[in-house]
Amino acid sequence: MSIRTLTLTLLLVVPAIALLAVGPKHRDPVPPGRTVIRYWEKWTGVEGAAIKALVDRFNATAGADLGVWVEYSAISYIEQRLLVAIAGGDPPDIAGLIDSRIPQYADQDALLALDDLAREQGVDLAAFKPIWIDLCRFDGRLYALPSTPFTIGLFYNRALFREAGLDPDNPPRTLDELNAAAIKLTKRDATGRIRQLGFSTSHTMLGWWPWVWPYYFGGRPWDGHRYVLDSAEGRAAAAWIAELRSALDPQRCLDFELTAGAIESAQNPFMAGKLAMLSQGPWFCNWIRKYTPDLDYAVAPFPSSTVGGGNVFASEDVFVIPRSAPHPREALAFLTWVTRQRNIEELCENHGKASPFKLPSAEFFEGHPNPFVRVFDDMAASPRAFGFPSMPMWAEVEVELKAANLDLLSGRKSPEAIIAETQPRLDAIVGEYQRMAARRRGSAP
Amino acid sequence: MIRNRASLVTGLAWTAPWWLGFVVFLAIPMGASLYLSFCDYSLLQPPVFTGLLNYEALARDAVFYRVVWNTFLYSAFSVPLSTAVALLLAVLLNKSVRGKAFFRACIFLPTILPLVAAAMIWMWMMNPEVGLVNAPFRGLGIEAPPWLTEPGWAMAALVLISLWFVGSPTVIFLAGLQEIPEELYEAARLDGASGAQRFRHVTLPGVSPVVLFNFIVGVLTAWQIFALPYVIWRREKGPGDSTYFYTSYLFDNAFRFLKMGYASAMAWIQLLIILLVTALIFHLSRRMVHYRGS
Repeated sequence: MSIRTLTLTLLLVVPAIALLAVGPKHRDPVPPGRTVIRYWEKWTGVEGAAIKALVDRFNATAGADLGVWVEYSAISYIEQRLLVAIAGGDPPDIAGLIDSRIPQYADQDALLALDDLAREQGVDLAAFKPIWIDLCRFDGRLYALPSTPFTIGLFYNRALFREAGLDPDNPPRTLDELNAAAIKLTKRDATGRIRQLGFSTSHTMLGWWPWVWPYYFGGRPWDGHRYVLDSAEGRAAAAWIAELRSALDPQRCLDFELTAGAIESAQNPFMAGKLAMLSQGPWFCNWIRKYTPDLDYAVAPFPSSTVGGGNVFASEDVFVIPRSAPHPREALAFLTWVTRQRNIEELCENHGKASPFKLPSAEFFEGHPNPFVRVFDDMAASPRAFGFPSMPMWAEVEVELKAANLDLLSGRKSPEAIIAETQPRLDAIVGEYQRMAARRRGSAP
Repeated sequence: MIRNRASLVTGLAWTAPWWLGFVVFLAIPMGASLYLSFCDYSLLQPPVFTGLLNYEALARDAVFYRVVWNTFLYSAFSVPLSTAVALLLAVLLNKSVRGKAFFRACIFLPTILPLVAAAMIWMWMMNPEVGLVNAPFRGLGIEAPPWLTEPGWAMAALVLISLWFVGSPTVIFLAGLQEIPEELYEAARLDGASGAQRFRHVTLPGVSPVVLFNFIVGVLTAWQIFALPYVIWRREKGPGDSTYFYTSYLFDNAFRFLKMGYASAMAWIQLLIILLVTALIFHLSRRMVHYRGS
């Protein structure tokens, strides 16, 4: 062997051996006699650290008594990876998903129904606010347990309210009041370009749920068989968006909206003082605390079409057990422990979110980092609270509703024309899915 | 016989890295996707054979026709334009000018930039309020085109952005240009041919096989456009559904709507379309492409 070849070989082999000998190792050696369950979660950063702390505590305490060891992994793109894992027959025992995915997975029998197991393990579902358990159900069966719930409120910049001559202690109570305030809060430069926007349902202006607006008019578009956009509430919602857009000039709004900076940064349009009002969740308070702690803002329930309408958008992160999970009983034992009030409230507090329980513990609100946690908590108690439509074909429907919202925002077509175009598309999606579902069940479409 | 068999085994063993990779990572997945295209498969449940149902559903799907049309439009504009610009740049870079290597690097650099980063850059470049592309319009006091928010302009913007990635075809053209014998240019000069005539009668025929190659690669790439519109229009269908492309819809069907069988059928139709378009280009180019020595 020549010197050159020897040197090259050593250069390759020595680092490889060194890596194997002193490289990264599994950090948590599993104590003997424990059943290892795998838990995949989407959270990273502070949120990830909060759940990891709970997992570690479980492993050190209750896990030892139960003979269970939780192997926690933070997974990016968890939905896609869970899909592939389920398809490959190697899913985790527990996964953290967003509730909107439950119908899609449950309808395809990919999630374990938890009713019996939860009863067996003594999970007290009645202790939770009803909305949080409702969102865990599909077709009457329980497929998930709440982890961190959230409601969506109206964030408004009090300083900009004062500048515009509005009372910062009296935020809009109806959608008409919101439009009127939005017009007052919109500022332009000498050329007519918008420099500050009152409110927008655009995604770039953090309107992440462009399908919710008919709900604030009292509508509940999904009746279990058809998603009805072409209803009085659907038309009213479209007209409401179009009215504000035409008052502000749709193209100017679109141009302005493209200047929005990164969402989780100080360039976020609300934090930068370029957007006066928006609909968002409790995590937004965490971002404000981190990037613009001096921002003078407040949170109120998002208005409905009428005063005290009480329509509240609620959603939550949930724990699910895939049907083919190798250790469902042990997985539920961990979930029973983690959803105990003390534990789940610790998690929610670290995430800046409200408690899922009907009666939050006394210490929950004390020292809670979110100054508006009581607002978010109260909203969840509304009997008119609503979540994502319980539709297995929601992902496809949502794409169409987003496209309809984009059309509305552009002002290119009338609200009536957009609804007339969108409704048949929605019917086609639902119809196609129902045919497919009937074939799967072996019944005639 | 035994010797031949031994040779065969040896040959197979030495070529195993290639054919094993081909079988495991290409042939089997392609075969599986062909089978799945005849199945109802959501990833969450085992596939169920349903015959031609996916293809029938595609024939009824208005969104499918829309994405085919959008992708056709995009490729019809971007491929010829990119090829022409790449050829022009290659001709310029082939000249003996100072700093040639620097200019070559500048033109190739965007090709190695990640697509997501490029998409973010172009989102700001085309921003109507602050974008550099619109600076001349603003300077003249003219209303700048709404590049990213109007259906027609959105497609134009994407075609324009596609020119950012002409580095690869430019380099291939450069190699082709350097293959053209200098004697041909000298002869043309002696015959009194102007620069334009030399380009038309010497350069173009000389690089015609490269034009064909770049054109076909361009068509393949254009029919698979995904990342740029996906990032720029944030997973949505774009203004008036104008930037919703074939591969975006295929991806959505597979991983958002969990219709993997349907997506597989789309993938096979996409392959057929690309094959047909390529065959058509080959057929139409027969008289225009000149191979040396043929």
